Order: sequence, then C-alpha cells, then structure tokens
Amino acid sequence: MAAPRYRAAGAELLLVEPLDMFTAVFHRPSGITHLLTEPAPQILRALADAPLDAGALLARLSREFDLGEPGDAEAMLLARLAELEAAGLVERV
Amino acid sequence: MDETPQPYRTDDDGPEPSRAATSSRRALMLGAIGASTVVAIRPALAQTTGSVLNCQIPVPDPGRAGSYIARDGSTVPARTQGSFAPPSRPYTGEEVKRALQGGQLPNSNSLSNRAYLNYIRRLQRGQGGFTCYASLQMPGG
Repeated sequence: MAAPRYRAAGAELLLVEPLDMFTAVFHRPSGITHLLTEPAPQILRALADAPLDAGALLARLSREFDLGEPGDAEAMLLARLAELEAAGLVERV
Repeated sequence: MDETPQPYRTDDDGPEPSRAATSSRRALMLGAIGASTVVAIRPALAQTTGSVLNCQIPVPDPGRAGSYIARDGSTVPARTQGSFAPPSRPYTGEEVKRALQGGQLPNSNSLSNRAYLNYIRRLQRGQGGFTCYASLQMPGG
C-alpha cells in the first residue's frame, strides 16, 4: 500500500500570523484559531505547494533545516502530521 | 594549558567545510511523539452557533433609541431628511445573516435595508448587538 500523502489546507482557508514563538493560524471553515509551535508551521509551509508523503516531507524539511539525529524522525513527523490532521490544517489526499 | 587537541573549533580556525555546508540550515526539532505542537483556541462565540442565530441586533441600540438611520448607517435625529425610521423591533442574528448574504431585512425596503445593514456593519464593541453581529462574521456562525 502506498504511503499516504498529505497536503496543507488551502491558503484561502487560513489566516497565518507569526507571533514570536507561536504561529497563530485561523482556520476559516471551523472558526478555530490554532497556536502552532515548531515544527508545525514549517510542516504546513512545506505541504502548501504539493502533497507529500512522510518520507518526502522529511527529505524536504531536512533540505531546509537541520533536523538533528535521524533516529525516529519519521515517527515524530507522523505524530506532528496526525496533530495537524486532527486540527483540520492538513489532510490526506 | 596543556596541548591536548581541542575538540571544538573556534572562530579563528577559519571555515570548516562540513560546518559551512550546514550553517545555512537552521535547527528544527521535530519534537517528542507525545508533545503536542498544535493548540486549538475555540472562541466561546464559535461554540454557540445555535444561539447566534437567535441573538438580537437592535437598530439603533437602546442608547440611541428614537434616532433615525441615515443611508450610510449613522444615527441622525428623528425625521432627518433622507434618513429612515428605525425598524419596530430588533433583528435576529438569522435575519441579519440572511440580509448580509443578499436578502432583505423584514420591515424594510431596498433603501432602508441598505441603511440598516450599514448601521449594523458599523457597530462597535460596547454597542448593543455588536457581539451578535461579530458572531455572524465567524465561519459557521
């Protein structure tokens, strides 16, 4: 089975405002504001252009950021994706 | 000081190829599996969708009862030329929502409807009906 691919909610659905250590994201369809801390805003941004599976997302993030020891990076990334998915900010395609 | 080789380089050591290659990448922690990086703030208003449509917007608010409504939505003395007598009762959130979507407020014509809506759009915090109107602005409200 192919790994699921994820994409960020459409830019037209979100109001994004960086607030120092947080990023406030207002999700228009739900009327809910989410306060994100790293790495959630970076994940959202990486998924804004095109859907990616977890492996491709990890590769993309590591091109831009130093993610430290690989270790269980993909498992942690999946945990972050699950949070963003639960919030409605990311969806599987 | 002894002559033991230093494990860490200093700025005087000049560029180190491997470090130079990674210095443009900022560190990003993916976090622990159980540590949430998303916190939702659910405004109380958003949770009362059912009641939002039943809330009321008096036109004008009680502090200016008796005033008429000018076309631009401002309140003016009664019977000012070109202004409209206020509606006989407050509007509900549902009625205003429909009107904002292109409908018409009850007991209004096309001109007074526009004036009343302009009044409602100009509502500010502290004025009667403001919270109700603000609730209607929220998606799902």
